[in-house]
Amino acid sequence: MSRPAVQVEQLWKKFHRGEYHDSLRDLIPAIARKLMRRGPARDELAAGDFWAVRDVSFAVEPGESLGIIGPNGSGKSTLLKILSRILRPNRGRFVVRGKLRALIEVAAGFHTDLTGRENIYLNGAILGMRRAEIDRKFDDIVAFSGIEPFIDTPVKRYSSGMQARLGFAVAAHLEPDVLLVDEVLAVGDAVFQEKCLERMQEIAQRGTAIIFISHDLQAVTSLCQKCLLLRQGQRVAYGETSDVVAQYTTECHEEHDRPSENANCRLVRTTVSGPSGGNQMTFRSGDAARIEIEIEARRDLAQASIEIYLHDRSNQLVFRASTLQLGFAPCDVAAGERLTAAFDISVNLQAGVFGLGVGVRRIEHALNYFHQAWLMPWKVLQSDGASGVCYLNCQATRYEVLPAAGARTGAIGQASGL
Amino acid sequence: MKQTAGSLSSAGSGAIESTNEGIAAEARRERVRDQLREMVTELIGARELLWRLTLRDLSLRYKQAVMGIAWALFMPVLIVGAGALIKYAMASVGGGDLPLSRLASMALKSLPWAFFVGSIGFATPSLISNMNLVTKIYFPREVLPLSTVLTQAVDSLLGGGVVAIILFTQAEIPFTRQMLWVPLLVVLIVLLTITAALVLSCANLFFRDVKYIVQVILTFGIFFTPVFYEPELLGPIGCKLMMLNPIAPLLEGLSLSVIDGHNLIYPLVHEQHGQQVLAWHPLYLLYSATWATVGLGFAWYYFHKLEFIYAEYI
Repeated sequence: MSRPAVQVEQLWKKFHRGEYHDSLRDLIPAIARKLMRRGPARDELAAGDFWAVRDVSFAVEPGESLGIIGPNGSGKSTLLKILSRILRPNRGRFVVRGKLRALIEVAAGFHTDLTGRENIYLNGAILGMRRAEIDRKFDDIVAFSGIEPFIDTPVKRYSSGMQARLGFAVAAHLEPDVLLVDEVLAVGDAVFQEKCLERMQEIAQRGTAIIFISHDLQAVTSLCQKCLLLRQGQRVAYGETSDVVAQYTTECHEEHDRPSENANCRLVRTTVSGPSGGNQMTFRSGDAARIEIEIEARRDLAQASIEIYLHDRSNQLVFRASTLQLGFAPCDVAAGERLTAAFDISVNLQAGVFGLGVGVRRIEHALNYFHQAWLMPWKVLQSDGASGVCYLNCQATRYEVLPAAGARTGAIGQASGL
Repeated sequence: MKQTAGSLSSAGSGAIESTNEGIAAEARRERVRDQLREMVTELIGARELLWRLTLRDLSLRYKQAVMGIAWALFMPVLIVGAGALIKYAMASVGGGDLPLSRLASMALKSLPWAFFVGSIGFATPSLISNMNLVTKIYFPREVLPLSTVLTQAVDSLLGGGVVAIILFTQAEIPFTRQMLWVPLLVVLIVLLTITAALVLSCANLFFRDVKYIVQVILTFGIFFTPVFYEPELLGPIGCKLMMLNPIAPLLEGLSLSVIDGHNLIYPLVHEQHGQQVLAWHPLYLLYSATWATVGLGFAWYYFHKLEFIYAEYI
């Protein structure tokens, strides 16, 4: 196995809260302090300092993609800036083998008064391309960006989406050994984002190590084999992308305080039981589950029915059902009375993390007495190799090679259902 | 394959704490050598960027602009005009006449002065005005002040052509061998300008009030620089004090070698109101050259050394 393209060992970086002295009259006291050697050492915290990156280690092999995820302010971008040598770490060391190119903000190198054409050359030079290289790739870059008609228009007249397209197009034609990408796809439309992801996959296949920061967990999952989860500058998880993303999603939703009551009613009980009984939160695709809900009314509720929701990690509604739609007439509940419902469902979901939510409604699509998504995170594990959006409990019933027309028929193989 | 190692701060501080000072000194020398090598290779690697940034600044200066290419001549013409007015006033008060050669000398000196003032004026805020680049992308930051100097140099080249034509056709300055000094003096002026550009742009990044101080100094600097007058007018001591301004000997050298045909290897003594004034001495040139070379070395070294904290302090 070859040596890792990027190796990071116990990296620490501190930042200062608040302002630095930044006018000349602050210089003299600062120099005096420095001369008296009263200041703290380079790798210790002074008052107002904090660790933005704390003891982070990882390695990326050539051709491998590492995703870095975490909430805002967890040190992701700081880490990339250290790797691209914009910032210097206070402790620890890192090694980058080969040519490193960083894509921290696509439109950063643009000058808005210049035309798209001039900016391609300028941005290319900023990202470290040679003139001949840009000349050679110019047509590809313009074609990739999809803004040919506006290439001689000043960039200030571009929309932000067009600027992002042009910026990414230039960067997509770099040929580095290590590529750092920091949340740059957010502006483009869905088609362009798809194109960018494909392009990054191509780049990775050429042997480039990619470090990809994004809040788009879908993109991270599809691009990266490994993933690093940061929280307050510290490494929380590091490993297979699907595991790390699942952990992050679960933590994210657990962290938020989900009130189980409001002025109208109080959620007394939510029980989920699966094949292994008990109060279960982990399932395999295709499992049967029973959800039991009990609600206490705090004031009179008219025409109420109970709903359940399932959201996926990007908060897309996966499933919703209500007692009303399933055939139970809405009930009037007096204050203090309890309302209970049970739902039987098949967990026909693919592997991932989902959130179970509960709602109480007056009648369909009208007043919400109570609504709370992500009350309970569900983890779904894969039961067979199927993939996609949902689990359709597919059985293969026939598998054979058919002979060419005119030849004798004969079954070669037949697979039995699982 | 090129290998970039991150700052080995732990290793570095460990060496300094070592009781064996010989090893520490050796390690420090090693680090300085590494850094010098890095400075040069990175700057060579960034030549395309330097050129693009210069091109950007040039095309921005002439795009959507009333003056267009005339901008290049605007500053020198303004300075020469002001100088001519002062000269004329002084000549009519003193009752003397105004020799054409003095006007030519002033025109010659005002061009590099305009270059210096323009470069410093644009270079000082260059790191701040490219903040989005400095905080987002790594490249040797020297290219930002350097490109402003280069942009100004292109402008000055245009002005220089015009001044040369006027000198040779209107003022009828004779060609002499002493004009061979011109390339050396021009190179020194450029190096000195780069030194100032590096120091001031870096200082302005940490202390935002530097650019106001620079503006004031550049506005009044012309009175402390022999552009409109000859330093020997200030008397024997005044002349020497004036030459402490590192750019003064270079401007005087230009004027003496081109207009007066003086060989700069030899000192020149002028008689002024019965006093002997040392108008020129080769040590003057050596003094300026030291600023432009050793000073540049230090400025560049520290500029580069501080690069890692630019993004944090900006």
